[in-house]
Amino acid sequence: MSYEKRVERLREIVADLEGDGLPLDKALKLFEEGIEILRLASDELTSAEGRVQLLIESAEGVFETREIDV
Amino acid sequence: MRRSYGSRVPRSGVEFDLFGSGSGATPIVAPATPGSSPETAIPVASLTETARAVIEGSFSPLWVRGEVSDFKRHRNGHWYFCLRDASAQVRCVVWSRSQRGIPASPDEGMEVTAFGQLTVYSARGEMHLNVTALDAIGDGLWRKAMEETRMRLDREGLLAPERKRALPSAPTRVGMVTSPDGAALRDVISVIRRRAPHVSLVVSAATVQGPGAPAEIVAAIQRICRFGEIDVLIVGRGGGAREDLWAFNSEAVARAIADSTVPVISGVGHEIDVTIADLIADHRAATPSAAAEAAVPMRSDLLAALRDMSDELCASLAERASRARSDLESGAMALRRAASIDAERRRAAISATAGRLNALSPLATLARGYAVARDPVSRATLASVADFKPGAPFTLTLRDGDVAARVADKP
Repeated sequence: MSYEKRVERLREIVADLEGDGLPLDKALKLFEEGIEILRLASDELTSAEGRVQLLIESAEGVFETREIDV
Repeated sequence: MRRSYGSRVPRSGVEFDLFGSGSGATPIVAPATPGSSPETAIPVASLTETARAVIEGSFSPLWVRGEVSDFKRHRNGHWYFCLRDASAQVRCVVWSRSQRGIPASPDEGMEVTAFGQLTVYSARGEMHLNVTALDAIGDGLWRKAMEETRMRLDREGLLAPERKRALPSAPTRVGMVTSPDGAALRDVISVIRRRAPHVSLVVSAATVQGPGAPAEIVAAIQRICRFGEIDVLIVGRGGGAREDLWAFNSEAVARAIADSTVPVISGVGHEIDVTIADLIADHRAATPSAAAEAAVPMRSDLLAALRDMSDELCASLAERASRARSDLESGAMALRRAASIDAERRRAAISATAGRLNALSPLATLARGYAVARDPVSRATLASVADFKPGAPFTLTLRDGDVAARVADKP
């Protein structure tokens, strides 16, 4: 799931929790999902190391990315 | 003679010495010299061909300045016009193959400089300038070409503000179409590393200047869109001369940007350079660095937003739990209330039934002073004279108890 999709899902979860008519066990499950998404999103920001890659496409249309040093 | 332009001497291929050997009104020439007498008259083609050779031999290609008039675009693609000033004019032609380096056709009355070879068009016996480069005084033609492209794109609605897509709020992979060894790429990398070191950059390489640049830029945009794994695309290059940035005014590049599968940020040249790519991109940044800043938000801002969301999540669960507790409490109260109402109702029902029972009971009749006679063994009611045998015992039940009795022996 992309970072943006995660954040979007988080907002949905908060909105669902704030809304009416959600059984308590469902609410707890959503909360757990929210915590897990938060953890993944935060990991993505802090532990991922951005790379610089050159995109290469073969004659057969197969893509390859090669690290470049700039 | 104004033959000081250029430096070449006449070509060796000149067939006739038409300029003759003297300056007299009736030069004395040998009878064998072609054109010196009616008998040796030369064909027209020889004349014009010789004139062409002489003129081409005398003039190197050169820049000529004048005003454009009688511009015509022929069906075969060639351009014809006159270059004139107050007292003279020269016919000019731009062959279609020479038009590639010229941004746009000149307008009527436009002050231009034209570079070309002076020659003679034999079929008409006319002198003309064979133009290979043309520029308006100032930026005229470049501006005109850009304006024409802009208008074509605008007519198709491709520049409409509502076509602009929003940039992603937190991309993790940014694409860039540029030259892999240009300054633009280095600038973008340094901005991304500073602002959002978690973000990766994927470069789709293209030559960004020269005649092949537009096609390469188009191919690079299409390639990275097919690759697909990017959130946003930067298209750009560093600063340069107007001609160096020209690929970013190309209509093909504009259309490739419009067709991009992800939002595009343009970052071409310096602040003052506005290109067609800038107009059609979803977001125009003044420079490649500014494009990178627009593409990636600061990581610290994203982390702060995550913390806020974490707070919201916890608060919403706490709120949900407290709502559950109060639901429980009000449920218990309702239950208690319902139970007490039910007991009351039962009590009332019992007393009503008791009342009705009481009304039906013979005991009530006895209470009013009646008595009932019953058989002392079977307790059956003795309701008829025939039930009483002389001398037989029976029981009389009254309001407050039974009395043993006996039938008299004789009536």
